[in-house]
Amino acid sequence: MSSPLDFLRRFAAELRSAGIRFAITSGMACVHYGLQQTTKDSDWIIAPEDLAKLRALLADLETATPAWRITYREICGAPLAYEFMAHGWTSHLRITEPDGAIQKVDFFGNAPRVRPEELAADSDGWATRHVVAQMKRTDRPKDWPIVHGLARQLGEHGHPEALLHLQEFNSLAAAWQNADAESRKRLVHRRPLLGVFQAASPPTADSVERLLLIERLIWERVNGQRYSQYSRAWRDFHRRWRQEAGREWPTSEPFAAQHARLLQAANAHGLSTDPLVAVSRAELARQAVAKAASLAAATPSEIAQVLPPLDEMLP
Amino acid sequence: MRIVPADPDILYSEDYYENLARTLGEEKAAWARLPPAERERELRWYHAHFDTPDDLADWPPELDGGIWNP
Repeated sequence: MSSPLDFLRRFAAELRSAGIRFAITSGMACVHYGLQQTTKDSDWIIAPEDLAKLRALLADLETATPAWRITYREICGAPLAYEFMAHGWTSHLRITEPDGAIQKVDFFGNAPRVRPEELAADSDGWATRHVVAQMKRTDRPKDWPIVHGLARQLGEHGHPEALLHLQEFNSLAAAWQNADAESRKRLVHRRPLLGVFQAASPPTADSVERLLLIERLIWERVNGQRYSQYSRAWRDFHRRWRQEAGREWPTSEPFAAQHARLLQAANAHGLSTDPLVAVSRAELARQAVAKAASLAAATPSEIAQVLPPLDEMLP
Repeated sequence: MRIVPADPDILYSEDYYENLARTLGEEKAAWARLPPAERERELRWYHAHFDTPDDLADWPPELDGGIWNP
């Protein structure tokens, strides 16, 4: 049976042939960049405008010879449709290749923490290191060394964006030293913590490490606040949907029929296309910052030194 | 979505790998030193010989966090 790496290449080729814009991100991208040793599942950012083409491709693969099998997973996320995916939902599929190899595939439309104008991939389809680093700012402790590793790589490749992601004092100080004035000015706006290097006297390692800790807590809490809106919305929808008489999910129907069924259920049982519309981004961030400040016993001055702009945390 | 040139393959500095060893551990740093083809061979071996769930979370980490997952 083919390996997940073979699937990655095959599926990327199919997407390319169908003119679907994509970027491979998360675990497989970290493997590609030499920062993660093992993963099987794959995560794909798909331009939301190309989702109809993606659904058409999946339907074609099901009728190809030999045929693939495409199905939503039990915990399916949102329908693979523009109105959901453009608002930060993910959609979770199981793709069975003709040789029987089963792949778990997650699709993003609007990738968390990635500004639309910065969404980029190389010609092989790998999301850029900057995009992957932004997405890895989760509340999983194991993701942050990867953020730092990607930053170190960005630095070694001469990208000043390394300054946005570095997580250690020595690396930050060295990168700041090497950055030109224009990059410093641009990046300190996006990452206020960098301002400590503009002070008349150089900061101490301990003071910067503390600010890094507070900054990371803010990112973790913002992630938590953000995804809780989605997970709560999905759980409430799923609970209502499960009570439907005769409900079976996922069905054995072709993917197009499953998709229609899921869309109908989403409409019938009130799955919000944009769970963040109910709470303003500013309020979401305020709650996250308050929690981070409490956890770190951070002063308002420390928070002000590190708090990223709202459109950096929740673009 | 923009397509950008891939960064060229470069030899990272010794300081980079020492930093990886400090932040990700010696084993991962040693693995990172391997040429990409060798890393891919190793990953294929894992895929061929192990069939454990990739992640115990129902959601991708970027959405759910999977904070308790190893």
